[in-house]
Amino acid sequence: MKMTGFDHLCERTIRASSRREFLQKAGLGFGMLGASYLLERNAFAASVSSPMQHGFAAKQPDFPAKAKHVIFLFMHGGPSQVDTFDPKPVLRKLDGQPVPQSFGKVDFQFTKMEKVPLMGSKFAFKKRGQSGIEISELFENTAKFADDMAVIRSCYHDGFTHVIGQTWMNTGWGRVGRPSAGSWVVYGLGSESENLPAFVVMLDGGIKAGSPAYGSGFLPAMYQGTVLRTDGSPILNVTRPEGIESNEQRRMLELLNTYNHQYSETRQDDSDLSARMSSYELAFKMQTSVPELADLSKETDATRTLYGIGDTETHDFGTQCLMARRLVERGVRFVQLYSGGNKGGSVGWDGHGQCEENHTVMARRVDKPIAGLLADLKSRGLLEETLIIWGGDFGRTPFTNGGEGDNPTSKGRDHNPYGFSVWMAGGGIKGGKVIGSTDEIGLRAAEDKVHVHDLHSTMLSLLGLDYTKLSYFYQGRDFRLTDVGGRNNLASRLTAA
Amino acid sequence: MRRIPACLWLLALCFCCTLAASTAGEATRGIFEKRCLNCHGDAKTSGLDLRRLDTIQKGGAHGPAIISGNADQSLIYQAVARLGRLQMPPGKPLSDDEVKSIRQWINEGAPWDDTKASEPSWWAFKKVVRPAVPAVEPSDWVRNPIDAFVLHNLNQKGLKHVAAADKRTLVRRLYFNLHGLPPTPDEVATFVNDPAPDAYEKLVDRLLASPRYGERWGRHWLDVVRYADTGGFETDMYYANAWRYRDYVIKSFNEDKPYNQFIQEQIAGDELWPDDIELTGGYDIQPQKLKHLDARIGTALYTIGPTYHEAALNGEQLRYEWLTDAVDTTGQAFLGLTVGCARCHDHKFDPISQRDYHRMMAIFAGSEEREIPVVSKMNVFGFKSGYPNLLHVEDVKEAIQKIDQQARDRGTADVLSKFSGDVATAYKLPAKERTPKQAELSAQVFKALTQAGLLENAAGKDFTLAYTPEEQKERDRLIQLLGQAAFKASYNYPTATVLGHADVVPEIHMTSRGDFHGNGDKVGPGYPKVLGGSEDIDDKSGSGFVPERRRALALWLTDAGHPLTARVMVNRLWAWNFGQGIVGTPSDFGRQGDAPSNPELLDWLASEFVNQGWSIKKLQRIMLLSSTYRMSGEADADNLKIDAANKYSWRFNRQRMDAEELRDTVLSVSGVLNAKMGGRPVIPPLTKEEENGMWAPSQWPVSLDTAEHNRRSVYLYVKRSFPFPMFTIFDAPESSQSCPRRDVTTVAPQALALMNSSFMVDKAKLLAERVSAAHPGDAPVEVQSAWMLALSRNPSDSEKQSAARFLEKGSLAELCLVLLNTNEFLYIE
Repeated sequence: MKMTGFDHLCERTIRASSRREFLQKAGLGFGMLGASYLLERNAFAASVSSPMQHGFAAKQPDFPAKAKHVIFLFMHGGPSQVDTFDPKPVLRKLDGQPVPQSFGKVDFQFTKMEKVPLMGSKFAFKKRGQSGIEISELFENTAKFADDMAVIRSCYHDGFTHVIGQTWMNTGWGRVGRPSAGSWVVYGLGSESENLPAFVVMLDGGIKAGSPAYGSGFLPAMYQGTVLRTDGSPILNVTRPEGIESNEQRRMLELLNTYNHQYSETRQDDSDLSARMSSYELAFKMQTSVPELADLSKETDATRTLYGIGDTETHDFGTQCLMARRLVERGVRFVQLYSGGNKGGSVGWDGHGQCEENHTVMARRVDKPIAGLLADLKSRGLLEETLIIWGGDFGRTPFTNGGEGDNPTSKGRDHNPYGFSVWMAGGGIKGGKVIGSTDEIGLRAAEDKVHVHDLHSTMLSLLGLDYTKLSYFYQGRDFRLTDVGGRNNLASRLTAA
Repeated sequence: MRRIPACLWLLALCFCCTLAASTAGEATRGIFEKRCLNCHGDAKTSGLDLRRLDTIQKGGAHGPAIISGNADQSLIYQAVARLGRLQMPPGKPLSDDEVKSIRQWINEGAPWDDTKASEPSWWAFKKVVRPAVPAVEPSDWVRNPIDAFVLHNLNQKGLKHVAAADKRTLVRRLYFNLHGLPPTPDEVATFVNDPAPDAYEKLVDRLLASPRYGERWGRHWLDVVRYADTGGFETDMYYANAWRYRDYVIKSFNEDKPYNQFIQEQIAGDELWPDDIELTGGYDIQPQKLKHLDARIGTALYTIGPTYHEAALNGEQLRYEWLTDAVDTTGQAFLGLTVGCARCHDHKFDPISQRDYHRMMAIFAGSEEREIPVVSKMNVFGFKSGYPNLLHVEDVKEAIQKIDQQARDRGTADVLSKFSGDVATAYKLPAKERTPKQAELSAQVFKALTQAGLLENAAGKDFTLAYTPEEQKERDRLIQLLGQAAFKASYNYPTATVLGHADVVPEIHMTSRGDFHGNGDKVGPGYPKVLGGSEDIDDKSGSGFVPERRRALALWLTDAGHPLTARVMVNRLWAWNFGQGIVGTPSDFGRQGDAPSNPELLDWLASEFVNQGWSIKKLQRIMLLSSTYRMSGEADADNLKIDAANKYSWRFNRQRMDAEELRDTVLSVSGVLNAKMGGRPVIPPLTKEEENGMWAPSQWPVSLDTAEHNRRSVYLYVKRSFPFPMFTIFDAPESSQSCPRRDVTTVAPQALALMNSSFMVDKAKLLAERVSAAHPGDAPVEVQSAWMLALSRNPSDSEKQSAARFLEKGSLAELCLVLLNTNEFLYIE
């Protein structure tokens, strides 16, 4: 009988009951544990919960890693596919007409699809690069990299509200509480940086799903995303308290070390104690490395201009993108950027009202920075090892937002999880590809459908991780990012010439 | 293959039956137990039960499983040899040898010994049989049966217990364990200097009797029941009465409420003690009714789970999500089983079928949230008599809104005046009457209005209205009036949000793969079959004219003979006292959980628990008085080689303070802990950095009274979409589902928080002020006093010297901060 993914999940046999126990058994030193926050892959595999039997510790990945880092550009609110990466000439022709009955009925948050007219995109699509991928004028700058991009037009899940959509895209599940994709990756691969967190998140205001979107769920808390701010103290508590100078703090740490060493003299067997001592060294280092990371003053004017830093519209996201480059440069494994948080009361990409206007504003904020990021990574040879993923909560409806009693002249679009676009670039992807398609109006994924699980399994595969084996035992069974779904043939298609 | 005459077969069959077993038969039984009985044992999946010969011969949905003497024709052989369409077991096939054994066993005529099959096959489902206390060599060390069980186990494994901890270690251990707070220097001295032989016992009793105990141990329970004050998700609605459940839990632990009653109240307080609570007559509720009210507040357990606001767009989904949370939480908290797997398919390891899961859902179907008064009818009426003031509030609000509307209209007219008449006309038409052209024109107006801050726009929701001076003046006056009116008005009377009954009891149907549209067979309410729940619960109405399904569940769970309830709870108590459970997976007693490290001890404790009237404190007292609990945490090289994880309790486990314990201890040591108990959640201030990432900071209204900010951690606001940052750093549970055991991580953000956070820096300063206020100008005494407060001991000479050297340049506050960062401070021995 064929082993299905599900059987595999349930074939678990061995588990060490605690990290401490495992370490003691494995006789591992503490140096790496203190740095568990930024652990090396091998060290990690031994140090946490130990999915040794079929985990990734001693096994070769299915295929060699193409990517070492991920930058996930998350468009909070849900960008419309038919206005960005999924041209729909038929939809434009049918503009203003009712949705043909042949498209059936599905649930949306606000819209009764039998009550609203179709709405074609107002944005012009053009063929880009040698590959001729059609991308709308909203992403005029980003589109220059069409030949580096694989545009997946047939993505889908089933969560038509923000938190559920964000939770699907970020954690691979439709209910809150699972570990985020970044946590899984760091759990699986650790970090290459010695003094920065392995999984960094940048926000522009709060996001609807809140911190669980980048949390570690049931994985140990060390795998959660660390929020990096572009103003104030870059990382929580990384700034020395007012009135305590660096040399003073050094003296404090020396004294602390003295006391801790005395305490450990009779407790040599307890690796947690030494791990905690090392964690202070690391924390101290972070107080230098993080401000150094956040200091953009050494970047050239040309670089800053490339990202749109200094221009009102692009300054914020440009800064985030430049920071993302600096992070991967320093070995950070997973960087998650959110565009469209609630800073200044923004609704993000949530174009219920005037989608055209909303997207014009929002795209202007990110288009140049994203193009800058791609160009910069490329010129530094980092794009090859960095997987860029662009997407949002879901897509938007090809018809207007609303139902009974709503303004029929609405130019908004409701949430649409049944068919939307995500693109990837870098990380070994051979660009200029389009994967899958939606139906003629862009309502549902139609051909070569790609579920969120498939997106995640593709990401893991590109990172050299076998998504069927990256699992964590919790409450009676092994869990994985892709649950019982996922497929990795997409990864090989994306990397094929 | 040569045919064997039938008569020979018959002979062989008779022979084997009397002989009852053969090698192949025993091998087969082993294979069945290992690979098949999960589904075809207690759970009888597809009707097949592979434990007894008659049921094997009868078979299941596919017909007889064996034809004795003829393996090739036997369904079970065909399935394991993977010859036909039915291929078993799912997943990894049996090995060739295993298949051969089964073949041989059938061909031998299927000899079988039924007597081995009467009990459930999994240890945790078997009834607790009180084991005899093992005979160990008498010694001073064996103070009570726990020690005998532990020692017996240690002897068998070749382990030696370590020596007892010193008194200072013990007094700290007890305070932290039972109160989650450090002993004061006086309390340490009292115990250390008490030569009485029962000094330790007295201390245990005193600590168990303190209200601080419920605050600490109630918090353990709150982990298990995924407590929070909000529903989570985007809107993260506030559960205004969740705190009453939190206080109920604390009170229950403090009063040593028998655990069976504690369960009964939480699951079915309303059905077991139905009462018309507010109808007392008079102002006060009679004590008996108050007790019933308390019991009903227990059911709030089922009203504080995560709730996805938008699920209310689809009533069926909302109900399904709620039922899922109810069944999962019940399974984990009380049964210690991960039933959640069975929502979508039969459990792969434990004999919990998808049907079992839905039958448990049916127990909760027909129950729903109710808000009930917690005051007498006299008081309810009193509140209502104050409602007219609310009319005034509404009135003033409307007057304010009217002014706002005036200003908005004026602004709109201004904007419109800049457009041509056509555009204005188009805008003024009802939306449905506009032509497409007019719709475009009106869109221009919308855009302009949005830009002028008069309409909701894409970038924000703030309006900017321009008032005339008169309007502004009047508005200011009204706002003030609104405040006064609101202050005088009486709002709703105090209520509790508890479980009650819906008007209609919805049917529960089997669902497919977790899709909430249940179209499958209708199922009735019941418990898992494996635990004896073959029959549906008798659904006749009780005195309250409602189905009393939860009542039945509660009584079943608290039956003295229930195999899981007591075992699961004593294991939790053990884990919370000793740092790890006898079963390492406190909410998974199934086949994927850890095996008990000392099964006899577990069963003795479970039986003792029931014998002692399910008294948590009594059982805990036995644990705390044992020599096992009083051991030191010292290492032993030989023991480490055999049992590095201390699974068999040869020493005490060193434990890092948990998040709440750490915060409370720092507050206590610095002298500012506010010991006030109970009440609505306290919302502490956040730094700007901490606040970053919260979707709606308006949902974090910081408590005005700063003394409140120093309340114990158990009283802090638990917001599901935004866990308190310091707690997250120190591994507090995320509260979307039951947490059986917290992780303990060691990461740099903890060091950063302890060294740099304003909370720690402020408290270190307070500690410095505290010690210098008591001993102004006397540095060595200040240092000594700080050590006593933080570590319950005097500094050593070398510590004094290094402290003095540090103080030549550094401040006392800095020294205190160092002290609060030491491993000795953070780890309890």
